[in-house]
Amino acid sequence: MRVLVVEDDPALADGIARALRAEHFAVDVATNGEDGGHLGGTEAYDVAVLDLGLPRRDGLSVLAEWRAAGRMLPVLILTARDAWTDKVLGFKAGADDYLVKPFRIEELVMRLRALVRRAAGHAASVIRAGALAFDAQTGQFEYEGLPLRLTAFEWRVLSCLMLRKGVVIERLDLLERVYEGDADVDSNSLEVIVGRLRRKIGATAIETVRGRGYRLVDPPCG
Amino acid sequence: MPRSLSGRLLVTASLALLVALAVAGFGIAHMLERFVIHGLDERLDAQIMVVSRAVRPDGTIDRGAVVDVPPFDEAASGWAWELRGAGGVLRSASLGSADIVVPDHDRHGPPHVDPFGPDTGRPRPFDGRDPNGQRVHGRVLRLPSGRGAVTIIAVGPREVVERPLRAALLPLLGSLLLLGAALAIAILVQLRFGLRPLATLRVMVDEVRDGKRRHLGATEPTELLPLVAALNTLIDANEIALAQARGHVANLAHGLKTPLAALRLDLAAPGRDPGGRLAAQVERIDRHVRHHLGRARAATPAGSPGAATPVGAHVDDLVAALGRIHADRPVRAVVAVPRDLAVRCDPQDLDEMLGNLLDNGWRWARSALRISAERAGGMVRIAIADDGPGLAADDLARVLQPGVRLDERVDGHGFGLSITRELAELYGGRLELDVGMAGGVVATIALPAS
Repeated sequence: MRVLVVEDDPALADGIARALRAEHFAVDVATNGEDGGHLGGTEAYDVAVLDLGLPRRDGLSVLAEWRAAGRMLPVLILTARDAWTDKVLGFKAGADDYLVKPFRIEELVMRLRALVRRAAGHAASVIRAGALAFDAQTGQFEYEGLPLRLTAFEWRVLSCLMLRKGVVIERLDLLERVYEGDADVDSNSLEVIVGRLRRKIGATAIETVRGRGYRLVDPPCG
Repeated sequence: MPRSLSGRLLVTASLALLVALAVAGFGIAHMLERFVIHGLDERLDAQIMVVSRAVRPDGTIDRGAVVDVPPFDEAASGWAWELRGAGGVLRSASLGSADIVVPDHDRHGPPHVDPFGPDTGRPRPFDGRDPNGQRVHGRVLRLPSGRGAVTIIAVGPREVVERPLRAALLPLLGSLLLLGAALAIAILVQLRFGLRPLATLRVMVDEVRDGKRRHLGATEPTELLPLVAALNTLIDANEIALAQARGHVANLAHGLKTPLAALRLDLAAPGRDPGGRLAAQVERIDRHVRHHLGRARAATPAGSPGAATPVGAHVDDLVAALGRIHADRPVRAVVAVPRDLAVRCDPQDLDEMLGNLLDNGWRWARSALRISAERAGGMVRIAIADDGPGLAADDLARVLQPGVRLDERVDGHGFGLSITRELAELYGGRLELDVGMAGGVVATIALPAS
């Protein structure tokens, strides 16, 4: 899962990024409205955290532009403006959630996970595929009833596949959601990560679709 | 000087009226007297001309030349004449052998001067008394003759002058009083009518204070327009200052929130704040910031207090927003708000009040929230009923106090309800919490209808 954080306060942006990375998210930070608008408009993100009072461009106009361009990524507005009118304006501009500063980081993480889950079309917080279970609320994976220990890269790949289980996910799409914007991407590394995942959750769980990408096999229940 | 404007105008106008009436009264009486005396003078001068024929060019007097005609032949009538010269004295029959007329020094000329003055060739007036003591008005003429100057005097009773004056005085006074009364009424009417714009202006200022209008809308009278413009400028300046003050409070609060968020995040890192003491302080600062931001909002209604704000549209927007904020709590919101209902309240303040109440409803509800509104007299009552567990009577009163929240686990700062109540009361409305038929909490807010 890759998150875009648009926040002009460097200390806060840094803190959020650190906390989200600790939860295995890939995080890109933009410290002004222009950069944030550009990143959100061109890169693939699972969710965005958007401040409203930004230098160069106001957050609401950034959001409105994304929506006008058909960018449907879930957006959580994170702002000091706590008036209900501001919240209504935020949702009207196309926000999916609204959190007022200061906030508890657990709540931000929980809300971001919920946004990603709902955007993938899951109403319940626990997603299952065979013996694999993903609690989208806590971010924990279980395999055969036991907690699954994953590295950040493994978690990103698996959560991405899990949220869209049964669907082929393009290699490029997967790469984009696994690596942060400024990372050196070695396209072979994806095979390495998938290989390690197969060792942990069974060789047949992740299917390689030649020339396209990967798919998490969702065996029918029972 | 009276303190009131109408008092001042009344006093000055009344004084001016009295002076004008007195001057007019005396002026008219004087004119009348002169007119009447002029008539008497002409008659006396005619008599002097008749008597003067008795003086021959050599200065002797022709005693047969003058024949007394009434009233000069009547004794003690007050009418008399006398001719005095070197050639002797000739008197009217009315005088008989009595003394000549004595000039009344009180009225004409200083006593040491010859009362009849030097010769001017024309009759001159004087006032005096006849031998019977009757006050008379007379004319005197000095004629040169061969044997020195001849003096001819003719007098008539002063009563002749004073009788018509007395007769005219009563109607004159009457008409002056009538005029005065009419003018006094005119002054009162003018005061009421003329000062009415001031009363209108005062009502407008009251309306501005009460938030029923934004500016003074007077377009007349022209004398007051500069004052109206100055007042409107003052109102604007006040509004700007208020907005700036609000803005400063908001900026301060918002400016603090981001560093607070960073601080909180920093303290949440493992090992950074083992006892949680610093985090508790951050929490305290946050509560203060929220509290005062809310208070600043509640203490000053925003820019357009007189605005008609549609309830339905705002409820819809807030319900849509809350549905997303509480996306994982499947609460069904049933909105039954007539579309034509509007309240006289700033839209942001309405959002603040309804947002807090709806947010609470969402937190307390089990599965459904019912929002209804109705017009009751001059108020609109908006009721938000949840199907949650409800509250005990003690708690219902307690949650309206600032900073009280019943469930410490639920996220929230506990100022929502008290600020909502303060805002509602600021608009002349009310907030009531009750337990509904189904057992849940019913929050009812009453706001002035538009």
